[in-house]
Amino acid sequence: MDDLLICRCEGVCMGLILKAIDEGSTSVQGVKKRTRAGMGYCQGRTCQPILRDILQKSIGQNEIEQTQKAQAPVRPIPLGKL
Amino acid sequence: MKQKVIVIGAGIIGTSVAYYLSKKDVNVVLIDAKDIAAGTSGACDKAIMLQSKKSGPTLAMAMKSAELYKNLEEELGEDLEYENGGGMILINNEEELKVLYEHVQKQREAGLKVTIITGDEARKINPNLSPKILAATWCEQDAEVNPLKTAFAYAKAASKANMTMHLNCKVTNLIEVNGRVIGVNTTQGEIYGDCVVLCCGVWVTSLLSSLHLEVPIMPRKGVILVTEKLPKIINCNILGGSYIVSKLQKEPPEKNPLGIGLSMGQTKSGNLLIGGSREFAGFDSSVNSFILTEIAKKAIAAFPCLQHVNLIRSFVGFRPFTPDNLPVIGEVPTVSGLYIAAGHEGDGVALAPITGQMIAEIVTDQTTEMDLTPFHMSRFFESFTY
Repeated sequence: MDDLLICRCEGVCMGLILKAIDEGSTSVQGVKKRTRAGMGYCQGRTCQPILRDILQKSIGQNEIEQTQKAQAPVRPIPLGKL
Repeated sequence: MKQKVIVIGAGIIGTSVAYYLSKKDVNVVLIDAKDIAAGTSGACDKAIMLQSKKSGPTLAMAMKSAELYKNLEEELGEDLEYENGGGMILINNEEELKVLYEHVQKQREAGLKVTIITGDEARKINPNLSPKILAATWCEQDAEVNPLKTAFAYAKAASKANMTMHLNCKVTNLIEVNGRVIGVNTTQGEIYGDCVVLCCGVWVTSLLSSLHLEVPIMPRKGVILVTEKLPKIINCNILGGSYIVSKLQKEPPEKNPLGIGLSMGQTKSGNLLIGGSREFAGFDSSVNSFILTEIAKKAIAAFPCLQHVNLIRSFVGFRPFTPDNLPVIGEVPTVSGLYIAAGHEGDGVALAPITGQMIAEIVTDQTTEMDLTPFHMSRFFESFTY
């Protein structure tokens, strides 16, 4: 279970996610900052809902925003085309 | 009994303060409304740049801080992605060259190893640099670090030294009895201590106002662009000359209200962090697409190969601005048992280690090696209009 891949872009597995929660992460952003899960090319489109569910299972609901704040760009765009 | 110190704010400043205090055999309690590096320290770039500092107290402090960074990975036993790779300010024209030449002379007098190099010399260091760049400044003392890793590592090391940490715990007000701060009220109950250190940057003003104190720290919004991972494209810290020049020449802010300039660094993971802007917009965290385009244009002008590189995210951080561009460090006047370390604006990463060390000294020994007078909060009191 620990080597189950959660964030494909950054290659972050379950074990690392659970360790981050153990170390005090209570939010998707907290897990992201500790592990880089969700920091990759797709910006957490796939893994952040999964992270949110893992967090809910391990520590229950929390008041912090459930996934990261949406921010431009909507999808990757070349700098020259901005 | 050991001294018990409450540190409010777990950004890079608060975790540094907590760490250096924990080395002094003090009981430290670190409190944050959210998480470690959840605010400004989690939304910034990675530069430990010395040559961008004005000669004077900030540069002197930054140079001491840079020394502390050199051994920090070993001291904390963690990889902080620290790299002492130098930094350059890009010079686009003769006018910028003239202004930066004077700036460099002053910094050299202050003991910084900084020089002006030709465009070709700059392109030797950064082969992807545009052929249009006329010259650059070069400072081998500039370095880079991952501020997230640094804040987490400071907190971890302090925890090993028996620090207590309360995350997701918001301090609602300070508890004051007879002119002395004895603790804090939080969403998780009251916490008492011998003294309190405020390290909550742009969020410090509301806590001080509960004691009818004011400090002119304001959020200055900065946008940073994140690109996809790339092979090594730049080999050091990069700053655009035009912004530094307009700052040095004290151009009125109306000329560039969004404060758009260029700053670049490449993370160990390969992403480029491209800044940035500096504007006063309260706590509005929205990103204006005009700002993204303008910053991207500046980056492409300096490094034409970035034209086809993908932007994957942008983020906003609120830098704690002070009117005289100096941080506020030391005792809070008129109340005892209260200290402040805030208002570092864009220098928080560079100044974190020395700030932590100075606060630890003043809290435990009541004295510091460096003169704290220029950073004292009372400097704002005379010119204050209530």
